[in-house]
Amino acid sequence: MQMLSQNERERYSRQIMLFGEEGQERLKEATIFIAGAGGLGSPISIYLAVAGVGRIVLVDKDTVERTNLNRQILHYDRDIGRKKTASAEEKLQAFNPDIAVEVIETTIDETNVHDLVGDADGIVDAMDNFPTRYLLNRTALEKKIPLFHGAIRGLYGQATTVLPGKTACLQCTFPHPPPREVFPVVGITPGFIGMVQATEVVKYLVGTGELLANRLLLWDGERAVVEEVALEQNPSCEVCGGRNIYGRNTP
Amino acid sequence: MKITLRFFARFGELLGKDRVVDVPEDMSLADLIRDAASENSEGYGSIFDGQGKFRDFVILMRNGKRVSAASADRTTLAEGDEVAVFPPVAGG
Repeated sequence: MQMLSQNERERYSRQIMLFGEEGQERLKEATIFIAGAGGLGSPISIYLAVAGVGRIVLVDKDTVERTNLNRQILHYDRDIGRKKTASAEEKLQAFNPDIAVEVIETTIDETNVHDLVGDADGIVDAMDNFPTRYLLNRTALEKKIPLFHGAIRGLYGQATTVLPGKTACLQCTFPHPPPREVFPVVGITPGFIGMVQATEVVKYLVGTGELLANRLLLWDGERAVVEEVALEQNPSCEVCGGRNIYGRNTP
Repeated sequence: MKITLRFFARFGELLGKDRVVDVPEDMSLADLIRDAASENSEGYGSIFDGQGKFRDFVILMRNGKRVSAASADRTTLAEGDEVAVFPPVAGG
């Protein structure tokens, strides 16, 4: 275990009340991979940074545009035209200089996803499309690390946590993606769903609470209602079903 | 018999979110949704394709359990059932 410095003890004193120094040390030792520095990736990375996740690896390929600014709170008006990775690194490191922030400017694809995720302890899905989400899902299964899924549209959102070998994978739950579109969104929705994902990450790393395992959380912001849907592994799932990747045969 | 039918997210915007419908004993889950969705052509088109089949991304639930689109035509209902229909969202 890496010991906490005096500064860290002070910085995290209010959450050490919750998790103990041991929990805080677990956060400090962790690496979390965040795919996307947009609407979901912004609040997730900010809150994981201030919570003291020791190493954050953030990947994005885009440049900040004015149309991003209603929701992508890592990026400021002055950042328009700048790479999202550069903007994100500056802000996250300013929020918390005690953690390591690594940014990678690239498009996640099947040739690089394995190396990009590296030895991370978990993958945060902050993407805006299902093809990349399916790649992240596969990588999480291969590496046997959790995938913290979230997605939004308008005032609606969904989130679940995939635990390889224990829960439905993303492909079991969503075998077919919805059609691609320029989706309507107001920043409060990815803010809400991003916080659900970040909460899952913190609980998982600290080892406390109950995860969204085999549970799909559905947020209806219009009516302020959270619903929950039970999920189960699909034995004929083309990604995780029937494949002996967990050292046993799934039926 | 009375069934609660719930459309989520975009489907709910087009078709209304929750309703309790009185349906005949032998009605299938697919027909229940088909009937309700027929009230609004855009709503219907968001759930069903040109051949009247469920679009492949549509998620169907009966009492919190997933029902595949392939089996929805032969899935019967019981008094008090809750049926939910929702689209995954994809934005970030």
